[in-house]
Amino acid sequence: MSRSGWFPFLIGIGLGLAGGLYYAWLINPVEYTDTAPDSLRADFRSDYLALIASAYAATDDLVRARTRLALFSGLEPSTELAALAQQRLAGGFGEFGEVEAAALAQLAADLANQPRSPTSTATRGPSTASTPVPTPLPSSTPRPTPTPGAPFSLASQEQVCNPLLAAPLIQVEVSDAAEGGVPGVEIVVVWDAGQDHFFTGLKPELGQGYADFTMTEGVSYTLRLADSGQLVTDLSTHPCERPDGIPYLGSWLIHFQQTP
Amino acid sequence: MLTTHLPRLILGALLGGFLALIYGWLIRPVEYVDTTPDSLRTDFRTDYVLMVAESYSADQDLDLAQFRLAALGPLPPDVYATDAIDYALELSFSRTDLEHLNQLALALRALPQPGEIQAP
Repeated sequence: MSRSGWFPFLIGIGLGLAGGLYYAWLINPVEYTDTAPDSLRADFRSDYLALIASAYAATDDLVRARTRLALFSGLEPSTELAALAQQRLAGGFGEFGEVEAAALAQLAADLANQPRSPTSTATRGPSTASTPVPTPLPSSTPRPTPTPGAPFSLASQEQVCNPLLAAPLIQVEVSDAAEGGVPGVEIVVVWDAGQDHFFTGLKPELGQGYADFTMTEGVSYTLRLADSGQLVTDLSTHPCERPDGIPYLGSWLIHFQQTP
Repeated sequence: MLTTHLPRLILGALLGGFLALIYGWLIRPVEYVDTTPDSLRTDFRTDYVLMVAESYSADQDLDLAQFRLAALGPLPPDVYATDAIDYALELSFSRTDLEHLNQLALALRALPQPGEIQAP
């Protein structure tokens, strides 16, 4: 084909491409329908995960919660849900943000506490609603949830010198009457210039009933469980010394236990 | 002139369109990212409503339920609950699930409709 023969051919290709794109983008653009939760935008994805946790908090159905979470590829449930709980607390979501944060923390802790069994992953399908999940059999290992109405009380309070800690902490452990860690317990810490609250179970690798708060040197903190009036006062950093003589700031270990 | 080049032009246009389709469908197909809940497939959408209903059954917070259902689109929230019940019946969801959905739908229907005048 001569050079003059190629010219109309190339023009034709250009027209074809332009026509195809015009059709695809303007006349009949893509409409997102029949999508899966995995494709949701980040903020909606967060809301969806929080909704899974809220539904779990209502039903206690961990199998169903797992199935729903399995819709998200690459999700590390226990860590991602815990991080999301922190975001919910810090992100100004208001009152229901706190409720969702507690639910997320509870689900993260329960997932970490009861790893998924190999058989359950192999049989799980991509859709949850079209294949209703059967009601799970009662677990032989009861969840360490607090007995409704039974209060927590301060069991011990001690200064800790642990050079492995990167910062001085208020470490809180909350356990039920049987010494099992209790996740999802809200803790309020107050100091002269502000206050903060955090939940147990957000660091499941350190225990279901564990939570910590980083102290600033020279500040005195007062701590209580959100559902308890018992105050732990005068919590502040204290001097410690490593074996090699280097000084560092010490932490506190506070243990609350549910009264039998 | 036109008669000479027209077949080549048409051939080129066809080839261009064909290449566009190869590119669009095989090399770089549409990836669904950053979608919104209103585009969820029916089963996922139903499960979304079911989660709202499960949560509502515990907290009885109808404002929060409405807020969550609003993510599914501009229709009144009871429509989504009703659609979910229809789908749940079609697929024989458990009795508990249906009760949760029904409870939510009833609560939403009891709300005053926009423009409705309330009796004093």
